[in-house]
Amino acid sequence: MGRPKVAFFDLSCCEGCQLQVANLGEALLDVLGLVDLVEFREVMSESWEGRYDVAFVEGSVVNEESEQRLCEIRQRSNVLVAYGSCATIGGVNGMKNRKLLSDVQSTVYGDKGDWFPVTKTRALHQIVEVDYFIHGCPIHPDEFIKVLKSALAGLPYLVPDYAVCVECKFNENVCMYDKGVTCLGPVTRAGCNSWCVNNGNVCYGCRGMVSNPNQTGAEEVLRSYDLDANLIANKMMMYNAAMEQCDE
Amino acid sequence: METIAITHSGYEIKRGRIAEITELTEQEKLYRIVLPNDETLDHDPGQFVEVSLFGVGEAPISICSSPTRRDSFELCVRKAGRFTEALHQLKAGDEVGIRGPFGVGFPVVPLEGNDVLLIAGGLGIAPLRSLINFIIDNRRDFGKVDILLGARDSESMLFGGELAYWDKRIDLNFCCSVDQAAPDWQGNVGLLTGLIPGVTLDPLKTIAVACGPPVMYRYVVDELLKKGIPETHIYLSLERHMKCGLGKCGHCQIHDVYCCQDGPVFNYRWVKKIKGAI
Amino acid sequence: MTQALIRKEKLAELVTFLASRQKVVGPVPLSNGQFKFAEVSSLAEMALDYIPTILPPKKYFMPQHETLLKYDVAKGQQMEAVVEVEELTLFGVHTCDLAGIQCLNVVFSDRPKDLHYMIRKNHITLIGLECSDYCDSYANCGMLRNHLPKGGYDLFFSELEDCYMVDISTHKGESLVEESGLFEPVVFEVEKQLQTLRKAKKKIFKSEVPIRYQDIPRLFDETFDSDVWKRLGEKCLSCGNCTNVCPTCYCFDILDEPELDLSKGRRIRVWDSCQHENFAKIAGNESFREERFDRKRHRFNRKFRYPMLRYKRIFCTGCGRCSRTCMAKIDLKETINALMEERG
Repeated sequence: MGRPKVAFFDLSCCEGCQLQVANLGEALLDVLGLVDLVEFREVMSESWEGRYDVAFVEGSVVNEESEQRLCEIRQRSNVLVAYGSCATIGGVNGMKNRKLLSDVQSTVYGDKGDWFPVTKTRALHQIVEVDYFIHGCPIHPDEFIKVLKSALAGLPYLVPDYAVCVECKFNENVCMYDKGVTCLGPVTRAGCNSWCVNNGNVCYGCRGMVSNPNQTGAEEVLRSYDLDANLIANKMMMYNAAMEQCDE
Repeated sequence: METIAITHSGYEIKRGRIAEITELTEQEKLYRIVLPNDETLDHDPGQFVEVSLFGVGEAPISICSSPTRRDSFELCVRKAGRFTEALHQLKAGDEVGIRGPFGVGFPVVPLEGNDVLLIAGGLGIAPLRSLINFIIDNRRDFGKVDILLGARDSESMLFGGELAYWDKRIDLNFCCSVDQAAPDWQGNVGLLTGLIPGVTLDPLKTIAVACGPPVMYRYVVDELLKKGIPETHIYLSLERHMKCGLGKCGHCQIHDVYCCQDGPVFNYRWVKKIKGAI
Repeated sequence: MTQALIRKEKLAELVTFLASRQKVVGPVPLSNGQFKFAEVSSLAEMALDYIPTILPPKKYFMPQHETLLKYDVAKGQQMEAVVEVEELTLFGVHTCDLAGIQCLNVVFSDRPKDLHYMIRKNHITLIGLECSDYCDSYANCGMLRNHLPKGGYDLFFSELEDCYMVDISTHKGESLVEESGLFEPVVFEVEKQLQTLRKAKKKIFKSEVPIRYQDIPRLFDETFDSDVWKRLGEKCLSCGNCTNVCPTCYCFDILDEPELDLSKGRRIRVWDSCQHENFAKIAGNESFREERFDRKRHRFNRKFRYPMLRYKRIFCTGCGRCSRTCMAKIDLKETINALMEERG
């Protein structure tokens, strides 16, 4: 059996997650030894007409054209991996869903808004079946490798369904709340090894919420730190707005 | 940091070879496994092993063959998740890792010389089969034997050929019931618990052993107590996630008890005292 | 075994001596008045006047991630059991944390023994340090009588006027004292100072909750169905902070980490938490502690009730870490008070 044909695609995104892959360094060489990379716009100009064993798709769906493109990729792929927040939860592109689409169009394109029809932002799984999720903005290189290994082995990858706090404690960081800053770690699902907090930043919730957050409990926590629950909800909306209406 | 090789850590596996795979239903397969150098697993009926596939993980699976058969042992595996799906893709001749046997099995010693009432619901027949075949192989050591079996429907009933054999034997009273009957089904229809009142038994000479889904136990126990069977004569096999098998990892803990070491088979007198055990 | 003393001005020299032999780990300051155990090479890097570190020293006895087996499936299910160890000296461990390590010792030496833990434990030298006062208001060591040393160390330091009284408890400790050449015989005056310290501590450390040690397990028996648990369940975020920072929580998960070639890999164990929703889930997705309150109650009972039956001791050390770290401000002392109040 030949090496699996792997391709990378991007929809609406900053392509920063592709950059993460391109920047894997030595691990990238190991990865390239295992797979046959047939399409990856950021690092090569070739394209491929056949079937993909594994397609990695970055970015969210924001118009009909990208929806169609995603469906085509899905049809041509045995395994589809959504990678990066835009693809897995809509990401920052989702912020526009809280505004009127016409306002969004005119803000960006002025009086030529009609020339660029858009839809509400959607994550990939809101349109097609997704086999693997690599959350994060950007994706964490270690998790990318983990998911790649699962995909090559034909095994499901289970995204941790506990809070970022778990990994943050493993890393023995001083809690951001003790530093007097709000952090979305307590309601955001882990898997990033508390990457941001390790580097002195707060968690922005880029991986999406744990499946069963204790909402009233979380609000009480915020009150005890004299924080406005709306403020946190707004912070959460930076990445998670696209999950609001469709995440049943 | 230095890496030291150790032995007897408790986590090492034995390399089991799959000698035979039998498809029981669409969801369940029966694996016959042989250990290296034809070593005997040496288990008690009702014990379990940790089955391992490196790269995938481990899962606790109850042993469903009788220890009287010493050359190999059998595991009945339902496709129910990441690990068991991977297991279902294996073929005869492939290897799996085996740790164990672990835990306290069915009360073979107290059963001897007594009448035995065996009750299995759904997949509960798999572990109980180890005891049933053990009793058959040592038939003279046990009194009257009643086997009650419940299944969702006739398609999901496991070990069909063997059930017919148990049914045929005159020294076993075998009775089964399905929740939903197909048109050609000629047996009992209804819940397994409905079979208990019909069993003729001497309550003080009978020991009841039940194995099935957690929801089943309360109803089964109620019926057994109605029959006058003392609490101490009732044994239940509890299902929990036995991850390490060594009484450490905490996943299978029920109050102060580790199901993997202190169970999975418990006397009802104890189960009754523990809130949330059934 | 015996006792010795070391002058305060010689302590720095002692740490340098220890660090010249093997890796030394001690309490180092972080931001916001917090601390962690980390590698040090001198006394100056440590803060001996510290409140309990974010993670207890259990991370050296059972690390967050730990290799159990190395495997290779190229030719069947081949493996080798391994333990990763290094010689370590833990310096400045408070009595609460020594008590925590003693609890873990009991668990992992109970049959079937855990070789990974036992081997690593034998590579660690433990140097304890006495507290003369409460670290903060979260601590409840008085109630569990863990403010006083009860063994579990190689050497134990009690700070006095211008020296430390050192209790030597093992051969390992004794040879350290001899090899360093920094210790002196105990004199009467110093013995008197230690007595004064202990007398003063008797006045400072009182049971923080009005309950006797021997009555604690019964309280938990009698309040199993209490509404207090429901209220905790409403607050708890299930983040697992309390179990991760607990010196006696030892639950773990077992995972495989394949290398990229998918043939070689490691089977590891990782800290897990009974507070996570899927902790007690079985195949088919049935969970035996689905509700937060049930998980919260389980954790408290695993500290105060269940280990009493199994190991004849309470598994709370009084370090206060769980209360200190809880986002939802679930406080251990308040919880016990509430249980007592409700029981009447």
